[in-house]
Amino acid sequence: MRKISLAITLILFFVISATLLGLILYSPLPVLAGSFLNPEIQFAILLSLITSVVSTLICIAIAILVAYALSRYEFFGKRVVTLALTPLLTFPPLVAGIALLLFFGTTPWGRALDQAGFSVIFTPLGIVVAEVFVNIPFMIRILRSAFTAINPRYENVAKTLGCTETGAFLQVTLPMARHGLLAGTVTTWSKTMGEFGAVLMLAGATTMRTETLPIALYLNISAGELNIAVAAATILILISLAVLCAVEHFDRGVHVF
Amino acid sequence: MLRIESLSITLEEFSVRDVSLEIPRGEYFIILGPTGAGKTVLLETIAGIHTPGSGRIFLGDREITSTEPRSRKIGMLYQDYMLFPHLTVEENIAFGLRQRKLPTEEQHAVVNEMCSFLEIDHLTGRYPRSLSGGEQQRVALARALVLRPEILLLDEPLSALDSQTREWLRRELSRVQKLTGMTIIQITHHLDDVFALADRIAIMHEGRIVQLGKTPEVFLHPADTFVAGFLSIGNIIRGNSSRSGNLSRIIPDSGPEFSAASGIAGEVVAPLHAEDVILSQEPFASSARNCLLGTISEIIPLGSTVRVILDVGFLLTALLTRESCHELQLEPGSRVYATFKASAVHAIPVNTE
Repeated sequence: MRKISLAITLILFFVISATLLGLILYSPLPVLAGSFLNPEIQFAILLSLITSVVSTLICIAIAILVAYALSRYEFFGKRVVTLALTPLLTFPPLVAGIALLLFFGTTPWGRALDQAGFSVIFTPLGIVVAEVFVNIPFMIRILRSAFTAINPRYENVAKTLGCTETGAFLQVTLPMARHGLLAGTVTTWSKTMGEFGAVLMLAGATTMRTETLPIALYLNISAGELNIAVAAATILILISLAVLCAVEHFDRGVHVF
Repeated sequence: MLRIESLSITLEEFSVRDVSLEIPRGEYFIILGPTGAGKTVLLETIAGIHTPGSGRIFLGDREITSTEPRSRKIGMLYQDYMLFPHLTVEENIAFGLRQRKLPTEEQHAVVNEMCSFLEIDHLTGRYPRSLSGGEQQRVALARALVLRPEILLLDEPLSALDSQTREWLRRELSRVQKLTGMTIIQITHHLDDVFALADRIAIMHEGRIVQLGKTPEVFLHPADTFVAGFLSIGNIIRGNSSRSGNLSRIIPDSGPEFSAASGIAGEVVAPLHAEDVILSQEPFASSARNCLLGTISEIIPLGSTVRVILDVGFLLTALLTRESCHELQLEPGSRVYATFKASAVHAIPVNTE
């Protein structure tokens, strides 16, 4: 058993490493560096960073409150809310993207939002909406586990020591859930950086408008611009690896690998 | 004075039902009861964690039924300490002072004074995870005491500790209470806590207080068979009682009759503490009115004591020291006399169970 499991582990490591290195080393370094200076890639990097950071922050803000409510309170419809969140964890992002497109494009609520200036179809705002919609269930799931693991008696004690309910949450529960929060943030941010299907459906694939790094990769592969596509893929890999390594290094409570 | 009037609350499977209590300032009050009796819910409701379904709570003349926990001047300690793991010992103790926005220097002074008082000065820079159970409980105690609460609620504070630390911390609690004069309400499963600390005790069962009184009264006169059983009184003999002057003659369902102090007639249960049963090889002259001959059926060693179960027609349990057991050469099958006073038997009418 020991030999087989170790052998499979090593083979898997080799396959993953070889695949990623093959991609990164595909273009000669000068060509890769030149691709990075391409205005389209630079736009894609900037748009990906901005939308993923905004999406992640929105996910954090909403998920903290929802996860706390689900972990601490009993309320009418709690089970239904939980069940509604669960399919989103397994839906293909493309399906989520079509659902969003229909919601914002065909329903009275979607049209009302559009008329109110909240225009999401084929706009950069759509990227954020798609990324939040697809990724927030993961964030809620991670944070809910983190909050559930914290004994509510910590908050009880904090209240007897002078905290309000919100104060007890902010000063005791949230710091105690920091490992879960960090793990959730890293996971969510990595996923938003690489979000493709839902973004393609809702925000479209318009060059230099809704062109995130995955969309840039898709557009350039389609157009036969392999070097630019590889540059986009390399950047995605490097950014993800850098963040995950930083988290592993600086916070020993979080194991994202 | 803490006054509770007809307090009721239900939380999932736990409930408190129609509890009324008056606890004078400075009293050490202990609540006993089996798991699920509602003890912790009662304590948390006093602390303001839960809003009661009905009833009122007063602290002095002030009604605090709906007052937020932070405004009640009530401290709370749990069995598992609940020290905030992301804060150092010093930050934990200063937590409440920080909420009151006390200047930092003043916080330091108060924390230092409390640390000296509880002899935990050397722990201030450490995190809770590096402390022993006893140290954590002292830190939790310090954190509650720095706010000078009028009432300190202790939810089994000594249960997770080894016997030596428990004894030490028990003395500390006694010292703290004597020095501060604060009211302490403690939940415990340990009778040692009761004997060492309690001014009065309450027994809870299924959400209700079934008996309340000074410790000796409750032990000598358990209100019903539940209390008698819960307090490990040892013998609960069922039978029929008839008055005989100031005493009762109790005829057990099986076995010889005996005398009891209470003048109750009818169907009764008679609790008798195992410690009150004296064993001897020969009948001896004493004022005790009951002397029954029996056969030892089992001897159970319990550390320094021994529980002897003998058949006198019904099963009777005696508790004696290991030395006495050895001197009397007791062994299963040997015949001995069991002597106990009528005043040690407190017959309880069956219909009040």
